[in-house]
Amino acid sequence: MDRYQYEDLISDYIENNLSMSQRKEYETYLANHPEAKEQVKSMKQLLGSMKSMQVVMTSNLFTDDLYKRIAAEKKAKSVVKTTRSFAGYTPLMAGLSAVVVIAIVVLGLEFMPVNTNQAGFQPYAAEGKELNIPDNDGISQDVLLAEADDDSTEIDVINAEKHDFEKRIHLVGDRRP
Amino acid sequence: MVSEFRYTDEELIARFQEGNEQAYTELVNRYRDRLMSFVFRFINDMEKAEDIVQDTLLKLYTHRHYYRSIAKFSTWIYTIAGNLAKTELRRKKRHRVTNLSQMGTEESEYILPSVEPETGETAQGHFAEKQIQKAIQELPLHFRTVVILRDIQELSYEEISKIVDVPLGTVKSRINRARLQLQQTLKEFR
Repeated sequence: MDRYQYEDLISDYIENNLSMSQRKEYETYLANHPEAKEQVKSMKQLLGSMKSMQVVMTSNLFTDDLYKRIAAEKKAKSVVKTTRSFAGYTPLMAGLSAVVVIAIVVLGLEFMPVNTNQAGFQPYAAEGKELNIPDNDGISQDVLLAEADDDSTEIDVINAEKHDFEKRIHLVGDRRP
Repeated sequence: MVSEFRYTDEELIARFQEGNEQAYTELVNRYRDRLMSFVFRFINDMEKAEDIVQDTLLKLYTHRHYYRSIAKFSTWIYTIAGNLAKTELRRKKRHRVTNLSQMGTEESEYILPSVEPETGETAQGHFAEKQIQKAIQELPLHFRTVVILRDIQELSYEEISKIVDVPLGTVKSRINRARLQLQQTLKEFR
């Protein structure tokens, strides 16, 4: 047994938690090391002193103060309960929220366009009426439709200009003439 | 009146959870001085220690339903008190650092605990206790907690392991090292 092992086992030795063989080995070490024996004796005294340390008492007012704090706690909780009666909102908050919602609705109605049908879709077809397209400054519907044919997006493949970019590209290190 | 010898702590807290306020009073009477000793040895300040014990017992009142019967009541209540005491020590440490940083600009409000050794034959026992108290304050927090719980409060290793929430082997090792350190510190005081 070395000094470290001796120190690690000092509490177990004092509290009788060593096996018989360990205890014998420990006592052999103590017999050969008087300073270790002295340390064990001193440790026993220290533990005895700690066990006999005075119990620290609370003051006479302790219980009264505690019950006062409990009463205050109860009172605070009851106040919270009564104020939070509208689904978690205080009456003030609930009232303010209601006022804000009403104000938004009123302002919304105020700024809404008066005749919304002017800008909207007129379902003539649904009512069984003919679709009446405006006269377009006297130009007939056939002319307009003919113009629409010219407006085609079809690509004229035959006349399309071919761009040969090959001659314009000069590659780095290209030795071709 | 709830008889002190009829009910265990666990039975009392169960009754309190059912609404019996006398059971609470009985628990307060059983634990107030034990907790006071523990907290005072830990933070070395009577006034603060009493506040912390009050906070602990107030928490017992307001958080009674948090207790589950799988644990021992003493383990639960010591855990609450220990956590509050540690919080107070951290707060005190911050306060001390602030005061030190302000040193020279204004007068420090930090008061060191009175642990000066007394002289004379009659004060010998008291002197030893004060020295031990001073030596305990020199210990790191994780050593301080376990050594107070074991050697002053006389709790079992298993109970301490649950309170501080570390394995039993670690608790035993910490207690042993804390005792050796205490012994060394007391030797230096002489």
